[in-house]
Amino acid sequence: MSSLADPWIGFWLPLALLCLATGFWLTDRKDSRKRLSGPIFFVSVVLIVAFGSKTRGGDSSETALLAVLLHMLGPVALMAIGSLVATFSGPSPVGPLPRGLRPLGFLMAMGGLFWIGWMLISEPPDAIANGIGETIWGAWVEVFLSILILIATLAGSFCVMMGDERHKEALTLAGLTIAGGVMFNEIMHNGSEGLLAAGWHQIHWEEMMFLIGGLLGTLTAVLAFIALVYMAEKRAPDPDVIAPLSEEEKAVVDAVLRLHLEVEESE
Amino acid sequence: MRNEERESWWGPVALLMFLIAFSMNLLVWQLSGGTEFSLIVERMILGFTLAFGLTSFALLLISLGAVHRHVRWQEQVMGLLLLTGLGLSLTNWQMDGSFAAMRNEGVILLSGITAMLAALGLVFGLLLALVTGREHVPDPLLQMESTHGDVSIELED
Repeated sequence: MSSLADPWIGFWLPLALLCLATGFWLTDRKDSRKRLSGPIFFVSVVLIVAFGSKTRGGDSSETALLAVLLHMLGPVALMAIGSLVATFSGPSPVGPLPRGLRPLGFLMAMGGLFWIGWMLISEPPDAIANGIGETIWGAWVEVFLSILILIATLAGSFCVMMGDERHKEALTLAGLTIAGGVMFNEIMHNGSEGLLAAGWHQIHWEEMMFLIGGLLGTLTAVLAFIALVYMAEKRAPDPDVIAPLSEEEKAVVDAVLRLHLEVEESE
Repeated sequence: MRNEERESWWGPVALLMFLIAFSMNLLVWQLSGGTEFSLIVERMILGFTLAFGLTSFALLLISLGAVHRHVRWQEQVMGLLLLTGLGLSLTNWQMDGSFAAMRNEGVILLSGITAMLAALGLVFGLLLALVTGREHVPDPLLQMESTHGDVSIELED
């Protein structure tokens, strides 16, 4: 008997429904399916929440993932809100916030990163402390730090490349790269609370390489999809040749044209 | 000319990123005492096939949801169905038919995607805040006021 505690019903089915809801949302606004996208999205979220509440961290990898995401919600939300506060408290033409909030925004964004650093030196919750939960949490942290280091380097270099004395921007992003690099170096040298350095090495060689392959696989699938659409459109037949006007239709057109020409002449 | 100068920066930037990625792997290699190269390739192939199958499946569901009378859906749907089947069958074959193991790896894939999105959001969010907050030197031309055509020109002999 299937129940909401079954990962196929409580986790993977809602994910599939979310994809279907996205498809419905993309339809024309006059299409009745467009109205279904909202309720299906809501049902999917309810199913996932019910699955999360009916299971515990050690039950399945899906519950462990939900525990990791819940664990990371705080720092990620802090980073996101901090970036928004910093953006809108600057010289923003839309919805400006008080200018005094700008340093606070930057502090919040950097605070999110340091929160993740603090998580590495404090005891993790039970749901992500052992087994697959620990692997999922480790993979999350390693991917986050690796992408942070690489993309902050890219963005910092871009600021330098753009010229116009963007030193402050480049320095801030360099700081982000260095902070990420220090955290990466620390976990690889000394490990973190509850996970030895050897565990991080194993996560690096197994899960990071798996995820690099995954990134390539995702890009290939998107390219294959584009190729499929291109092939389908190329194979589409030419539109039907329209039959020439009949004598009756020609007479109607002729009458309309004459009428307009006469009106113009009289004016 | 200026554009060409800027484009030439991409080479060093790409090289810098490659060097950083290489150094990170080298550091882990040195600290862990290395690993088997075949394991790395095996894991990358597994990640590739699983992500390929799952992405194709997600695109298939989105296509089915958005199908309309003007779209040539037969090619799109059948093609995506084949790609999904190919990706997931290859993954299942690599995992000796274990659906539980496939689920675990799928979860790790989702974990990686969320981490990647969080890191991208932090960097580009900060970049946006920094770039939009730039104070420009006031342009003297913009400070000038219109005389509404009342112009007097002084000619020097």
